[in-house]
Amino acid sequence: MSEVVVLAEDETRVGGAISESGVEVDAAGLAAAIGWELKPEGLCRDEVCIPVSDPASLALGDGYDLTAVAKAIGATALVDTDLGVVAVSQPKAQRNVAVHDMMAPELVLPDLDGNQVSTAGFKGRKKMLVVFASW
Amino acid sequence: MDGITYPVLMDANHRVTELYSITNIPTVVWIDENDKIVRPNTAAPGTDIFKDFTGVSCEPHIEALRNWVRTGEVDIEPDAAATAVTGLSDDEVRARLHYRIALHARRSGNDDAAKAHFDTAAGLAPHDFTIRRSAMPLTGGDPFGADFFTLYEEWQAGGRKYDGLPTPT
Repeated sequence: MSEVVVLAEDETRVGGAISESGVEVDAAGLAAAIGWELKPEGLCRDEVCIPVSDPASLALGDGYDLTAVAKAIGATALVDTDLGVVAVSQPKAQRNVAVHDMMAPELVLPDLDGNQVSTAGFKGRKKMLVVFASW
Repeated sequence: MDGITYPVLMDANHRVTELYSITNIPTVVWIDENDKIVRPNTAAPGTDIFKDFTGVSCEPHIEALRNWVRTGEVDIEPDAAATAVTGLSDDEVRARLHYRIALHARRSGNDDAAKAHFDTAAGLAPHDFTIRRSAMPLTGGDPFGADFFTLYEEWQAGGRKYDGLPTPT
């Protein structure tokens, strides 16, 4: 099995293959790429589980169909077969945290020195998020 | 950087614009002590450098911000704040995915594939500055030159789309 590049929260290279049937990744690759794994109770990430009525619909070859898994968690996947790349959006529920629930989602991003900083560290204070670009 | 005490985080993959439905910058969001968003996406310049061009003065927002910090009073009704941001459309979500693949292709030295994905992204989100303008310097364009003014005119003709609180003009 060759390699698939998954662009989700991070860029991950996992064992898999892109064919006319879909994007096949194994269980370890699925968890590494998008953080979700299939358990008896459904598709799970941390303490959140989404029931899956037909687990067989997520299977492809010996692994999972990444596009089908993305759809099951409310995300969108975009495949470029020539490049061997799949981009996966945030699940709709995650995109609703700020827009619908009016809560600041936790983000971990690098600072100018390359240190990973979690926005959860600013809880308990008023904050202004300033989104800017130098273009 | 000397003198700067606030954290500056880099978001090369545009996760913030996806999670907050941000289509232009500068955009500010007020977040209270309990991580609740009390004043959603607002186009708020930090200075008046571009006031003549944008017609937006920085002072009203800064004054409202000072008042919120001191008193906790937000200058927007909760109902207005809750409905100001509508969220990304399916096309705008897909535009971000094409943008991500374009960045990857560009880093891999595949400029033709990158251009194709940047162009598709721009077609799906034609009035999103975080897609179109940020792609300009990555595809040989000038984000401060003719390409920008073309985008700006199209954005104005298209109704000045902005997913957030209306900006006074």
